[in-house]
Amino acid sequence: FRFKDSLAEDLRRADLVISHAGAGSCLEALEKGKPLVVVINEKLMNNHQLELAKQLHRDGHVFCCNCSTLVETLQSMDLTALKPFPPGQPEKFALFLDKVVGFQ
Amino acid sequence: TGGHTTEILRLLSCLSESYSPRHYVFADSDKMSEAKIRSFEQERAETFPNSQFTLDRIPRSREVRQSWTSSVVTTLYSMLYSLPLTYKLKPDLILCNGPGTCVPVCISALLLGLLGIKRTIIVYVESICRVETLSLSGKILYYFSDYFIVQWPDLKEKYPKSVFLGRIV
Repeated sequence: FRFKDSLAEDLRRADLVISHAGAGSCLEALEKGKPLVVVINEKLMNNHQLELAKQLHRDGHVFCCNCSTLVETLQSMDLTALKPFPPGQPEKFALFLDKVVGFQ
Repeated sequence: TGGHTTEILRLLSCLSESYSPRHYVFADSDKMSEAKIRSFEQERAETFPNSQFTLDRIPRSREVRQSWTSSVVTTLYSMLYSLPLTYKLKPDLILCNGPGTCVPVCISALLLGLLGIKRTIIVYVESICRVETLSLSGKILYYFSDYFIVQWPDLKEKYPKSVFLGRIV
């Protein structure tokens, strides 16, 4: 598994994703509509990567826990409580940029 | 690098063909971005057959958590490459999203502007990962970009001159 080019296929088939707090991992899982449990590594507490995981948790899109509370979280979580994660909208960026450069 | 490339390609995904030719500049130590970019451009060429793009590498300006003072030195070194490159390309628009690589490129463009050689619009989009704090590139370019876009409302509050369009990647 270590250096597979893409986990897309595995993700597609998964019913649940348990991941570290890396933004790429979180977003990939959420965009495929998979329920996600984010495990936070306390030793990396000052890493800005936590910002996104915390926000996603606040917005109800993921469950968060640390290594010691993982089992408990898995046992007690209610996946139906998770809110769907809407896709980003690059079209808004395109509209904005068109105005900025004068293509209208 | 990695996540930055994925994000920037998403930003490009809805742009019209007027944004052409596209010149991609990335760090020489970056092994994966070239493949992602080629794949993106290949797909794009299916809809827009006359699509044009180029790829250029410059020395990586800063390693993760590299100290401030040594970062200034390595960034200046990268500028030895980015300045002639920017002069050659004379871009109308620079779009960047935060890897250290964007700093020497933007500084080069600013210099060329000051010297009256080419005025480039600089648009910076902070990464989706940045919810509460700006990256180091962001903190620098907040003052030097023409448009500074953030993707979370907290940052819009902290940096009032920024633009908030919601999540765009």
